[in-house]
This record gives sequence, structure tokens and C-alpha cells, in this order.
Amino acid sequence: MSKLRWIPSLRCVAVAGLYLGGALASPFVLAGDASAGSDVFKTECSECHSVREGRNKKGPSLFGIVGRAAGTVPNYKYSDALLQARWTWTTDKLHSYLSQPAKLANPGTKMKYDGLTDARQLDDLITYLGTLH
Amino acid sequence: MPLRLNRRAPRRFYLWLAAAALLLLASTSAQAIPAYARQTGNACADCHAGSYGPALTPYGMRFKLNGYTDTDGNGFKIPVAVQINGTRTVPVQGQSGNALSEADIYIAGRVTDNIGGYVKVATDNLGDDHYSSKLSDVDLRFVAKDVNLGSKEATFGVSVNNNPGFQDAVSDLFASTQLGPPGVTGTLLNPSSPNSLANRVVGATAYGVYDTHWYGELGTYTSLPLSEQANLGYAPGGDPGKLSDTGYARFAYMKDMKKQFFSAGVVALTTRRQVPRTNPADNLTDLGYDLTYQYIGNRANIVQASFVDILELRHYGSLPPSPFPGVAAQSHGAVHDKTFSLTYTFLQTYGLSLAHMQSTSTRDIVRYQPYGIADTTSNQFIVFWTPFGKDDSLTPMANLKLSAIWFRFSRFNGSDSNVFGAPPGFPGTSAHDLDAFLVTASIAF
Repeated sequence: MSKLRWIPSLRCVAVAGLYLGGALASPFVLAGDASAGSDVFKTECSECHSVREGRNKKGPSLFGIVGRAAGTVPNYKYSDALLQARWTWTTDKLHSYLSQPAKLANPGTKMKYDGLTDARQLDDLITYLGTLH
Repeated sequence: MPLRLNRRAPRRFYLWLAAAALLLLASTSAQAIPAYARQTGNACADCHAGSYGPALTPYGMRFKLNGYTDTDGNGFKIPVAVQINGTRTVPVQGQSGNALSEADIYIAGRVTDNIGGYVKVATDNLGDDHYSSKLSDVDLRFVAKDVNLGSKEATFGVSVNNNPGFQDAVSDLFASTQLGPPGVTGTLLNPSSPNSLANRVVGATAYGVYDTHWYGELGTYTSLPLSEQANLGYAPGGDPGKLSDTGYARFAYMKDMKKQFFSAGVVALTTRRQVPRTNPADNLTDLGYDLTYQYIGNRANIVQASFVDILELRHYGSLPPSPFPGVAAQSHGAVHDKTFSLTYTFLQTYGLSLAHMQSTSTRDIVRYQPYGIADTTSNQFIVFWTPFGKDDSLTPMANLKLSAIWFRFSRFNGSDSNVFGAPPGFPGTSAHDLDAFLVTASIAF
């Protein structure tokens, strides 16, 4: 009986350890609430971006955005500015990019966005984007 | 006590007017342009809270301001869409009926990055295998986007259109919402007015938006010759007359807060109008203001409210003959049209909408028989369901809309009873006798 009780506890410790390791490697990946981030996405992003794979709007699909090389969504016509970008959309990069006006983050981009200054909402959003696989 | 005359012809005209107003209002459920969705990759719900027009979200307003030119950048899309409406009409008086009531073709979309447009050709089923096609609303635009003015951005454009107010960015004016108060008279900016300007004029307006908040527009209109109106499908009886010295002005402040939207604006339209065209000109000036508010949130619960108030000042060029000895028509007058509308949409799929419409006039016993005032008060209640047109729908770029509409008059032609002034011994018509219940099904693809 007591052994059975220990099993979920050990599992929790193990999972917590994994989370902690991830958080240390990337301070934004697990800081947010994906459910709340879904609402942030609907308010801030959904008019120009879809989360469905292969569905481009005015902006490219954000399915699989975290870990994707910039400017590589098929059948989307990127600006020269983003085509020449040499970065991968890590959570750190997304945090930096989305926390400021897009024209400052990537001069010449087609994207029109003033930036999300609410740190909590930004964390939630990026956590949500990380679930889109 | 009202003065009573033999008014059989006006009664028929007013009944026709009430029926036409109902049809116009019933068509408010029908303004979806899937061609735009295919062009942009957007879902219907991105531009319309209820996933079906006509009311626009702030994103839809920006698409319109950008001249319908925004795109997903993925090649040329055929700028054509089709809409078919079926209607079950149950009037309080008269026969109920089912009809495939209207078929519309839209030519709508971008030509270049700076040129785009909206053209609607409507075919109405008149019954008995008779159909009537007409050129409905047109809005062709040239636009210069992303113009830097100092540290701010601006958009400038020109719209060639045929319905003053239809081209408006906020899209809450009567020509956009089709919620102009019906009645026996009305303002120039109200398409429900007799001899309205809608679709029988052509004009050009220049507009600009500064810093996404400040919207201004100036333009002019002229009426089409009767022969051109006939070619476009319009009977001469509704001729808006000859217009001259016509000016249109519009200014508004818009604030998009992502989860909420607010706008406040003023509008004016002035003209010298001759109806019939050989008559001396009336000087008409519309002055109005409008307020809108939208709560959008995370799109699950959306509330859209608007109030439009238009006052028309009239200086008549001639006086109609008076049937009353010693009583002459007024040389000046005013008409006041007001509409308040409120819509709640759940999950961008289920909706409730209500509108309160009121048209009032100054007293003129000769022009507004039999009661001397033309006051009309009406309401529209709609329940609707739009299952598609969302990002996660079976199809985000086409839609179906089922609506149940109740349209009621509490006052018509200055009275709530015997609105046409039937003489003693003849049955009178109450305002409620003009009420109707409609069920409509619209598909757009």
C-alpha cells in the first residue's frame, strides 16, 4: 500500500525535475499557461496567422513554429527581410521578437505588430505556440 | 382629428414601401464574400463577428480601408463569389410564401496591390417565374498603404461607389448595415427612404486614415440618368432625381484595443435635388453622428452595439398643391432617422440581434397625409446560426446562415392605427398589420 502511494510521488518528482531542467535551459518555455496563451493568440495573432498546418493567411501558419527555421513555411511569400534572416524560432527568439514592434525586430518585414508588452501574456502565448506540433 | 381623403394609390404605395423595406432588411443577413476569404486565407469569422456579414470586426474594417487588396501572397485567386437566399415569409396581412428569393454574384477582390473592389449583382425572384437582376452595391478602390507621415503611418485612398455610406470604414451607417428606418419619408443617407440614392447614383470619395485612429473622407455624387438606371435594373419610379452641388463628408475616431473597439464619428451629405427632375430643386442637408462599441475578447462572446442619428434639414423648392382650403405646405422641414442596434454572438456561430429604428418628421399636413407627421417606429429581432466560416470549421471560407427574423412596426405614417387614414366604414390598417416573420437560409461560396 505505502509502496503504491510512493509511485505517483516519485513520478511527480521526476516530471518536476524535467520541467526544472527545461526551465533552466530556456526560461520561457514552461513559464506560461498554454490555455491562457490560446486566448492571447486569438486576441493578438489569429487574424493574420492560423495554427493549422499548411494554412497561411496574411502571415504564415504557426503550426510547428517553435524550432522552425525562419522563412521556411512552404507556399508562403515571405518578405526579403525574413528570407534573409538566419535564425530559428526558439522560445528565446520568439520572446525577443514579439516583445517589440515587428519593424524593429526585423526591419523590412511585412508583419505589422506593435509588440506584446505584457510579460505574463507573452509567456503564456509562447508556451501555447510551443504546443503546436 | 385627422383629415381624410381618397388615398387608394398612396396606400398601395406605402404597402409596397413596407414590403420593400422588409425585403431590404431581410437581406441584411446576406453579405458574405468568400472570394475575400480565398484571397486572404482568412476565415469569414476574422472579418465578421458572426462569421457572416455585414457587420465588420476591426480587422474587417482594416481590410476594407486597404481597398480589399490584402492577400496571403499565394498567387491569383478568382475574385468571384456566389450567394443564394431562400426565404419563408409570413406577414400578418397577406399571403405567406416560400421562395428562392435572391441569387447574388460578387466580383470582389484585388486587382493589384493598390486596386481592389466589391461589386454585387443581385437577382430577385419576383414570383411566377419572373426574375429581376440589378447592379447592387459597388465600391472600387485605389489605395496607397503604409505611407509614412513623420513617425506615424497613414493610408490614403479613393473610392468610386454608388451608395453614400456603403464605403464607410466603420460600416455602421445605414447604407452598410441596411438598418435604415423604413417609413414614408427619410434622409438621403437612409437607403430605406423613398427615392433613395442607393445604387442609383455614382460618386467618388477620397479618404485617409492617420495613425490608425483618425479617419476622414470627402466626396461628391451625381445621380445616374434614368436610362442608365433602367439598364442597371431599376424602375423609374424610384428615381432619386437630379442632384447638383452634392458634397459628402465623414470624420471618425477609431480605437482598436484588440479586445474592444470604439468609434465616434460625424457625417454630412448636402445636395440640391429635383424630384421629379423638372421640378425646382430642394436644398437638403443631412447631418449626423454615430457611435459604435464592440467587445471582442477571445472571440467566444462578442457584443457589437451601434447608434446612428441623422438629421435632414430641408428647404423645399416648391410647394405641393394643397387639398385643404387655406392650408399650405411648409417651405422648410426636417426629418430625423435613428437606429440603435445590438448583436451578441456566441462562439462566432450563434447570434441574437435587435434593432430599434425610428424616423420622425416635422409637421406638414399637406406632405404627410392624413396625420401631418410621418413618424414611423419599427424593430427587428434576429436569431441566427452560422455553422461554418471559422478557422476550425469544416470549411472556413464558405458558409451557411439560418436566420429567424421578426420585423414589427409600432407606428407607421404618424399613427399606430388606421395608418392610411381609411374613411369611416372602411377597414383600417394598424401599424402591426405590417409586421412580418421571416425565416431565411443563405449560403455563400
